Amino acid sequence: MSDVITLSLTTPPEHVLVADCVAADRFAALSEKDIAELPVMHGGRAARLGDFFRVRGERSDTVRAEGDLARAEGIGAGMARGELVIEGDVGRDLGLAMSGGRIDVRGNVGDNAGGARPGASRGMTGGEIIVHGDVGDEVGARMRRGLIVVTGDGGPGTGKGMIAGTVVVSGTAGPGAGRFLKRGSIVALGDIEPPATFRYACTYQPPHVALLLRYLRLRCGVDVAEQRLTGRYDRYSGDLAELGKGEILRWVKS
Amino acid sequence: MNINGVAIEDTFAEAFTMRVARLIITGRTPRWAREAATKLTGFATSVIGCKCEAGIERELGGQETPDGRPGVSVLFLTMDKASLPEQLIVRIGQTVLTCPTTACFDGLPNVPDRLTVGKALRVFGDGFQASKVIGGKRYWRVPVMEGEFLIEETFGMQKGVGGGNFLILASDADAALAAAEAAVAAMTNLAGVILPFPGGVVRSGSKVGSKRYKGMIATTNDAFAPSLRAVTQSQLPEGVNGVLEIVLDGTDGPSIEAAMRAGIRAACRPGVHSITAGNYGGKLGPHHFYLRKILS
Repeated sequence: MSDVITLSLTTPPEHVLVADCVAADRFAALSEKDIAELPVMHGGRAARLGDFFRVRGERSDTVRAEGDLARAEGIGAGMARGELVIEGDVGRDLGLAMSGGRIDVRGNVGDNAGGARPGASRGMTGGEIIVHGDVGDEVGARMRRGLIVVTGDGGPGTGKGMIAGTVVVSGTAGPGAGRFLKRGSIVALGDIEPPATFRYACTYQPPHVALLLRYLRLRCGVDVAEQRLTGRYDRYSGDLAELGKGEILRWVKS
Repeated sequence: MNINGVAIEDTFAEAFTMRVARLIITGRTPRWAREAATKLTGFATSVIGCKCEAGIERELGGQETPDGRPGVSVLFLTMDKASLPEQLIVRIGQTVLTCPTTACFDGLPNVPDRLTVGKALRVFGDGFQASKVIGGKRYWRVPVMEGEFLIEETFGMQKGVGGGNFLILASDADAALAAAEAAVAAMTNLAGVILPFPGGVVRSGSKVGSKRYKGMIATTNDAFAPSLRAVTQSQLPEGVNGVLEIVLDGTDGPSIEAAMRAGIRAACRPGVHSITAGNYGGKLGPHHFYLRKILS
């Protein structure tokens, strides 16, 4: 058993690499050889994980992936526990329908991070995705529970159709953020334009935001400015075209 | 044994196993955290009449609280498992929920026995409440006129110790009070211990039952009442005209011992004749704190 399993990209994929076998909890019971033998799809053709990555370590639920994985899709899909750290960019469907554990990305992430599988009603149902960079479209779409933090900008449709959970965006949240929200929170530390189906409620200091941001600062290594911790937030309730029990909390510059 | 000319009696304090919870109450300022904690722990001196015992353990800086605000740590004890959540729900609901700016967190996060106090209090939100899971813990956001009241869903409960004590026998009431105040000052802010009585001091020490009234659970400790020296089987030495008692509750025996050690040493000052302790012959409570052993 190793402290950490390291995947180092040795052969950059020329096409889309569907690598939904990469999940910290799945690696916990596998040897180095077994991990390298896990199936992936490269440009629609079957391949092995070892064809692209050098695997070091085994039987651990702490995984570290190195290299430009912008073409790698589905990493962390269905993950239930453990920790997955990605040093670099990563493609779409990161943490798809995950239910636990933490994914920490030191780079940008593609579309549908923490989202739902095609046709599924629910996205991620637990766990944490921390992105130290920007994300693509519809991050956290249809998420049922869990936490997604984006230190950069969020793409269009951030938190679209969320059922519950929390999405924090430090930069600018793209257009349509929170649309079809049932419950859940989108915490905007930067710019956000609430949809027309959201209604302004008040400006206040939500106590759970201070608790959450402090947690991100102390436990997740996210750089949170003091004025965000102690500041006031505009609360918009919505989506009133849906259940209307969700909220967009927009930090107020003082 | 003798400390600063004060005799330490060869006896022990007898204490009971209770159930304890620790609450962390935070507020915008230390004042508001303290206001809530003071109300929460009011009328909680003894299980005999209050059904619970509670007190402020210590004040906390922003670095020690979950939300980074100033706070107060409170210990809350009852005699049995069932009554602890009942008391917490009623008291937090009336004193912390109502107090401006406060939030309420669990101070025993690693204890497996959980009380769903926040979960019960959430219904004050009348369906408008919402929960958040942060760092694996669920919190309830209850909307109130000021904004939101935040409370952790569950609180830990563990076995604690109630009824640690020592008695200060002094030449007069003033000397007893000065010694008691010094003892309380020495025990204030010690981790794992509270002094549930007013100012940490008891003047009405009690004995079990009554010599005259059948219905009374506890009545005055006539053996230590100076004014009854001539008419009862007094245990007071000559020259003792004032007695005060310090009662301690805590999370565990070692915490009680450490506090008693600090408190008794501080109480050994001019005007104090001796230090003794209350017990029931060792037959009722499983925890025995021997004064001389603690101080040696």
